[in-house]
Amino acid sequence: MYDKTVRRRRAVLGLLVVLSLLLLTAYFGEAPSGRLHAVQRDFLSVVSPIQDGANKALKPVRDLFGWVGDTFHAKGQRDELRRELDRLRPELAAAEAEKRTYQQLISLYHLERLGLSDYHPVAATVVGQSPNFWYSVVTIDKGTPDGVRVNDPVVNGEGLVGRVVAVESDGAQVDLITDSSMGVTARIGSSSATGLVVPKVGEPNDLLMRYLPPNTVPVKGELVVTSGTVDPPYDSLYPPGLVIGEVSSFSEESAYTSVNVRPAADLHNLDVVDVLTSGGEGRAARLTTLTTTLSAGQSQGQGSQSEQLASTGAGG
Amino acid sequence: MNTTPSPALLGRVAALSVVIVFLQIGVVSEVPVFGVNADLTSLLVAFIGLLGGSTLGASAGFAIGLLVDLSLLQTLGLTSLVFTLVGYWAGRLRELRDPQAALTPLLVGAGASAAALIGYSLVEFLLGVDAPVSFELLRQIVLGTLVNSIVAVPMFALVRRALSSALPEDPRRRRRRRAYTTGGLSPLSKA
Repeated sequence: MYDKTVRRRRAVLGLLVVLSLLLLTAYFGEAPSGRLHAVQRDFLSVVSPIQDGANKALKPVRDLFGWVGDTFHAKGQRDELRRELDRLRPELAAAEAEKRTYQQLISLYHLERLGLSDYHPVAATVVGQSPNFWYSVVTIDKGTPDGVRVNDPVVNGEGLVGRVVAVESDGAQVDLITDSSMGVTARIGSSSATGLVVPKVGEPNDLLMRYLPPNTVPVKGELVVTSGTVDPPYDSLYPPGLVIGEVSSFSEESAYTSVNVRPAADLHNLDVVDVLTSGGEGRAARLTTLTTTLSAGQSQGQGSQSEQLASTGAGG
Repeated sequence: MNTTPSPALLGRVAALSVVIVFLQIGVVSEVPVFGVNADLTSLLVAFIGLLGGSTLGASAGFAIGLLVDLSLLQTLGLTSLVFTLVGYWAGRLRELRDPQAALTPLLVGAGASAAALIGYSLVEFLLGVDAPVSFELLRQIVLGTLVNSIVAVPMFALVRRALSSALPEDPRRRRRRRAYTTGGLSPLSKA
């Protein structure tokens, strides 16, 4: 009897371990359009309404915990924000001047200004989040009927949050910028040097900007924004100018400079996000048109450009 | 001892698992404590094992892991593998040692959390994720274990309350209870 129990126990363990390994191998080896991925997406469409309902029902509980946490951090955050305000005041004055120059250049080249509203943002509520720091994934309550598609960028009031990786009728899955699958072309503040922002896997509160030219000199606290590179067929999925984070430190690494970036968005406390529903293909088409316009505008307005720059003071 | 779980026990385990997984995904994962999130799912698996034995622990671990992986579009099989081993380990602990100390849930919770976090990391490294073994990674594991230890005791009380009426009677515990209540081993009987 005892032997039978032991044999059965071991058989169950062996069977479950083998089954897990088989699932792991099959899932890891198949394409995103494969069967197991499809099962996962179907499951998501089933559980999304439940998650949505549970999220709404449990929101007061989450808010209560959030309120307690916020109260603990409020004083420190206030002091930090005061210091940041002092630092940003002169920068705001400079930015205002640059904005005027930018507006004049926009009108000079007859360019269409791309604001976030042009990317048809769809507000969505975060209804689920992964507990595991190896996965930075959230579930939102908007899906295909709302115009959400795979690869759409996701932002919130603080900056870039991530991109949509799977969509169903009742919800979608979003990989956060700290997920191991992410990579965003970006530039630092006002410099034109671009690099690739990737997550520091296993460090969910940090990002790494790599492949910056060696002569780049980042300044601590400088903003890192999406570059919105247009280079068909490798167009960036993200509109230019979205805040990703700020420089926390940097190091010279072989031929390139590497910069540690602290994400601007509080990825632990996501409640409402915006999905830029024409952020992927639609954006590429618009940017291609813009590039064409720019090329045409350059040849026509070459003479007037120098005059304009001189009049705004930007031409030195 | 009959090791086949009753349908009532399986039903309770299934219901509790679904509730805890959705609670984890919808609430607990969005409330960071010391910069990390408590993971109720690994605690649930460990306590099911601790109360129901190794076979039930491993089976529940596999099912809960699968539910987590399916719900969050994570690599299918990864959480199942880690949780199967955690559930089995907790079940074997009960079968071999039958720990009764008041701190048992806390220690088992801490052990299960640490095992789950280290297990995830090991499998991720094996799958080729380009991540260094950094101080931050170790900090995440230590803090995650610490936070889970804090919630382990109330979590154990919840799991025991939910499952106790459906758990099979354990002869060893019955003997121990009888010994205490009839005075055989009770310290009060010496007076």
